[in-house]
Amino acid sequence: MPRLPKLLQAVLAVAVVYLGFVVVFDFALGQPIPKSLMIMFMFFVVIGVLMVFTFTEDGTRELVAPIRALVEDPAKKRLRNLVFVIVPLAAGALAFNQAQPSYEAPLELRAIHPAPPSSVELYDKRYDLLSLENPYRELETEDPEQFRELVAEGADVYIENCHFCHGDKLDGQGPYAQGLNPVPLSFQDLGTIAQLQESYLFWRIATGGPGLPDEAAPWISAMPVWQDFLSEDEIWKVILFLYDYTGHRPRSWEAE
Amino acid sequence: MMSLWKYLALAALVGLTVGPAAAAGDADRGEGIHAQRCEVCHGEEGDGAGAGAERLNPPPRDFTMAQYKIKTTGFEDILPDDDDLFRVIRDGMPGTSMPGWSDMLSDQDMWDLIAYLKVLGELEEEEPGVPVDFTTQIASSEDSIAKGKPLFEDRCVECHGNEGKGDAAKSLRDDDGERTWPRNLTKPWTFRASDDPKDIFARVSVGIAGTQMPPFADPKSKKKLTVEERWHVANYTASLGAAGEPVNPENTVVKAARIDGEVPRTPDDPSWRDSVPTTFYLVPQIIAEERHFTPSNDTITLRAVYNETDIAFLLQWDDRTKSIPGDSQAEKISGPGLAEDSVAVQLPVEIPEGMVKPYFVMGDTARPVNLWQWNSGTTDAPETVTLVNGRGIDNIEERDAAKAGVGANGSWRDGTWSVVMTRPLATAEPDADLQFVEGKFIPIAFAAWDGSNGETATKYTMTTWYWLLLAPEAGARPYVVALVVMLLVAAGLLWWARSAARRAGQAEG
Repeated sequence: MPRLPKLLQAVLAVAVVYLGFVVVFDFALGQPIPKSLMIMFMFFVVIGVLMVFTFTEDGTRELVAPIRALVEDPAKKRLRNLVFVIVPLAAGALAFNQAQPSYEAPLELRAIHPAPPSSVELYDKRYDLLSLENPYRELETEDPEQFRELVAEGADVYIENCHFCHGDKLDGQGPYAQGLNPVPLSFQDLGTIAQLQESYLFWRIATGGPGLPDEAAPWISAMPVWQDFLSEDEIWKVILFLYDYTGHRPRSWEAE
Repeated sequence: MMSLWKYLALAALVGLTVGPAAAAGDADRGEGIHAQRCEVCHGEEGDGAGAGAERLNPPPRDFTMAQYKIKTTGFEDILPDDDDLFRVIRDGMPGTSMPGWSDMLSDQDMWDLIAYLKVLGELEEEEPGVPVDFTTQIASSEDSIAKGKPLFEDRCVECHGNEGKGDAAKSLRDDDGERTWPRNLTKPWTFRASDDPKDIFARVSVGIAGTQMPPFADPKSKKKLTVEERWHVANYTASLGAAGEPVNPENTVVKAARIDGEVPRTPDDPSWRDSVPTTFYLVPQIIAEERHFTPSNDTITLRAVYNETDIAFLLQWDDRTKSIPGDSQAEKISGPGLAEDSVAVQLPVEIPEGMVKPYFVMGDTARPVNLWQWNSGTTDAPETVTLVNGRGIDNIEERDAAKAGVGANGSWRDGTWSVVMTRPLATAEPDADLQFVEGKFIPIAFAAWDGSNGETATKYTMTTWYWLLLAPEAGARPYVVALVVMLLVAAGLLWWARSAARRAGQAEG
């Protein structure tokens, strides 16, 4: 089988990566990458491909050979004239589009699970988040019957307060979820409570959106400050429910 | 391997004898699933008295009453079709707290639940109902829709409104005396089942049990409709969906277009026609006391234009009731506690550099917001516009709207408010008012109050932060840029070819 020219290989490599992005994000996940981010990604992809293809001097020569031939080979005059018309026109069209005013909203990147403080003041008390534990967790083994009751009480707290955004099924698809940005987290997702300690949840629930550090954009989070509505006890019970319903286990210092 | 074949053979046998759509349910198993998945809302006894009952909107179904809204059996049948129940469990009910369960429950789980629901409703001995006959369907066509329109105008507008937006001329209550709102038929994504004409035909034919939606197939009804007429009404109703403005989640920017001449000061000004609408969801305020769990407004549509000196917004939202305190008709529909309808635009006092914004619920102490609020007025006083600066929901400073030049004008028609709000781009107090700048993304948010739904003060619906962009006209700039780039590229190419040719010439010479 004849080998493809290097230039064509390079163009194909970039095209395959681009189509891969489109297939995975636009079609499979249904979450298109914003244009500005896409341009940034593709810039690095092109640089990467060029680096691979120009790794040796022969490679470089082979890569640019067709372009050189086009410009320098007198036999290719007609093709050259055509390219010399098309390339400036294409560049002009690109520049025209770029110079149009853009309506694309600025990107807002935020930390979803920012580092917690070592201690936090809540309910007029100071809590050391490094050593804080769910006071009911040990009942899971010591008194399963009472533990079930506490989980059920946590479920009631959840339905009365949390499901509007985080959903009946804890999947982040509550009746008002679609009106919020950032979207409410899904606790079923392996990337949320399954990765966190119960003390972290306690901090996030009690201080809500306004309790987030700046890197997590507290000004747009719709998470209420739950210490204004729920008792300490209710928060620990709702945490029991979150893990029980999803089947996830909280992370702990001992287990790792 | 053997066991797999055995399993498949068994499954095929079951499939042949029972049929996939009518698997027998085990009520005892269903009771267990109900306890695990359903009782938190529907209650331990299945009577709809779960923990969230007070706050769920609409409230969870009471299975002991054996009354189901979505059914395709006859209006006199108590029992819905098994498939009706199955479908609601599988797909959920849009716009309510009832999710679809297909990702968590198997088909058999759902059949078991249905068996248990029949136990709860004491329906085990009930004869299955007579299903609605869909084979009579008349496909939607211009002709059918045209035939449906006068029937709709005669039978349906008293509750669903002239344009189908649910702006009933009377107060509606369900059998329990709870307030209900007729469906806004221009928003098919809020239909509890779907906007398929078959679904609409079924609702029109058998009504919605427990509500004031009557069965139009009832031969005893003075308003009865024939089978053909019901299909025409269904087709017409389905066509109303095209009038709604659905939310496009990708579109987060209100685009203000630059115009020549005066900015419009009234909603029916023709210059609005050219502006691009953007629609956002409204969500109830459930972040700060006092929270609001039973909203009625659900979306808001924005348009904006500006000229050299002023900016104008057109805010439009479907509100079933024109709430004018003192008005006898409005008070009849609303009941006690009628307040003015209201809408607000929220803007940061300062355009943020970087990503830090004021807290989206009425600002914070470090970063205040401007709130321009329009109120619908009473029979004694005309509409008003107020200006406040918010530093948090409980930290509001009243300011002089007239001094800042904030103006507003609103009108209500067939279930939709249209309110224009205007202000000069710059004000005399740049420390207290946002100064609009062309070409910059400015955070913007909106809020609405339905005075016939008990919405005042902290009980309202709101959006999160979106963006406003005053987009200057591009003018000649893109053409100039394109021309310059084209010439530069062409010159570069020519220079390359020339120097190559010269080099070749030298090599030969």
